[in-house]
Amino acid sequence: MSNTAVGTVYDTIISEVINAVHVDFEENGVDDGALEDLKKTWQHKLSQMKVAQFPWDPKPEPMAQSAPAPTPTPAPTTAPPAAAPPNAPAATTAYTQSTLSPQSSAQSLSLPATLLPNSNAMAVKPEPAFAQVEPGIKQEPGLPPVHQGYNPTNGARPTAAQRAALALENQYGQRAAASINAIHSGIASQPPNPTAQAQQVPRQGQVPQHMNPQHMNPQHMNSQHMNPQHMNPQHMNSQHMNPQHMNQQHMNHQQQYRQGVAAAIQQQMQQQMPRPRPPNGLPAAQLDGSADTLEGGSSQAISDSNEPAVMSRAQIDEHLHAQLAARAKQMEGGGLMLPLKKAAKGRGAVAKRQSADGPAQFDGLDDDIKSEEDDEDAINSDLDDPDDVGEDDEDDDETMGHMMLCMYDKVQRVKNKWKCILKDGVLTVNGKEYVFHKATGEYEW
Amino acid sequence: MASSATNYYDLYRHGSLGVALTDALDELIGDERIDPQLAMKVLTQFDRVIAETLQEKVKARLTFKGSLDTYRFCDEVWTFLIRNVTFKLDNNSQTVQADKVKIVSCSSKKTDEK
Repeated sequence: MSNTAVGTVYDTIISEVINAVHVDFEENGVDDGALEDLKKTWQHKLSQMKVAQFPWDPKPEPMAQSAPAPTPTPAPTTAPPAAAPPNAPAATTAYTQSTLSPQSSAQSLSLPATLLPNSNAMAVKPEPAFAQVEPGIKQEPGLPPVHQGYNPTNGARPTAAQRAALALENQYGQRAAASINAIHSGIASQPPNPTAQAQQVPRQGQVPQHMNPQHMNPQHMNSQHMNPQHMNPQHMNSQHMNPQHMNQQHMNHQQQYRQGVAAAIQQQMQQQMPRPRPPNGLPAAQLDGSADTLEGGSSQAISDSNEPAVMSRAQIDEHLHAQLAARAKQMEGGGLMLPLKKAAKGRGAVAKRQSADGPAQFDGLDDDIKSEEDDEDAINSDLDDPDDVGEDDEDDDETMGHMMLCMYDKVQRVKNKWKCILKDGVLTVNGKEYVFHKATGEYEW
Repeated sequence: MASSATNYYDLYRHGSLGVALTDALDELIGDERIDPQLAMKVLTQFDRVIAETLQEKVKARLTFKGSLDTYRFCDEVWTFLIRNVTFKLDNNSQTVQADKVKIVSCSSKKTDEK
């Protein structure tokens, strides 16, 4: 006897039974489809028991093939988030929100100007630039941006300077004359000289615009990426001040203040710029931390690439919503379940005290014996008696787990020694099935 | 235990093959595709076929040893509960161990007589 023989034997039995009952099915007016279904269901259920390898079962090879199949799926799942990065529209809307904010701070001196040019740049660039994302990425990741910023060949500089001068004139008229003159003189005389240009930057309130598209992009990009994920306008406001407010509140101060601070700022910028990553990395890492559960590597990839990503507000809202839902689930799973258990235990304790007074004194003893898990269901003490459950389980094991069904030829007993000759049996042991024609057993009682 | 119609035991219905057949028949009955009477006919055919097949097609031999926990003889049916059983399979000298095995055995005489 062997386990391999079982399959063929059972197959023979099944086909014989099906053949034998075919006539009965016809007599009862049942179509052959039912008979075929009976056979299939029979075989299927037998296969589910996994007691042997059956001829109608597929060979074990498919199991090995199914393993690699799931691997392709993770790739598509990570791809969509990467393909749908934060976008320019979101950045511009965030910017408009920030313009409404009256907040202003001297601490963000170097930052306010970054918003305007970048937002402009984003508003103008992204749609064409997004189609060719690669150049935009390549320009920024490395350390070279510092030198790019001072590159005299950059065509954006005069335009931005002129724009700055116009803005100053429009807003402040005569009061800004000095600044405008400085800008114009800067345009006229200084662009050819990179160092002079750099020195001019902090002096002129609007001039940092020149630098921003090159210098500040890494930071700005990151904040753009972070912002859509968290949809926090406050964050945007605090980081990027509206230049207009800046000008209104600080114009007077800036003229003197910046003169004095110019050197310091420039030093600071130069110190920061050569390694734009660390300052970016910190906030990005912190803010990405919360998003890691959902987007994980994709968001990281986005911030790394500084890609001018495009994502509609609806998409962002969906992301945020999903994130919040996941968080809420986590909170429910971790936070609420425990209190429930504790509360249940507390209730159980109360029940014990009550039962001690009332007629259910017998339960009091049981409760002491029972494990704490049973306290929740202490009301149904009879049904939950652990001894009964254990016995039931044993019976189930005996009948379901290991069983031999057979005929006996002879059963002999000499004192406590038993000897029996069995035949035509089916044996189920350790989840496997065996058939035998004859079996002899010897055991002591 | 003997089935009145065909004089075959229905104890094999409790094996995996019989359980699978019973479940399949129950499904068909639940879907009202067959009558319960027809299902009973299928089961009696199964009793006969499995008894004959085990008798004629299976040649394997088996010996086992263990300690008898419980024995019962009722209505010509022996029921043993054996602990720490070791089965020896003759044709490939393979051994199978089990903590406990329940043996339900009907008399072979009855089927032979009729």
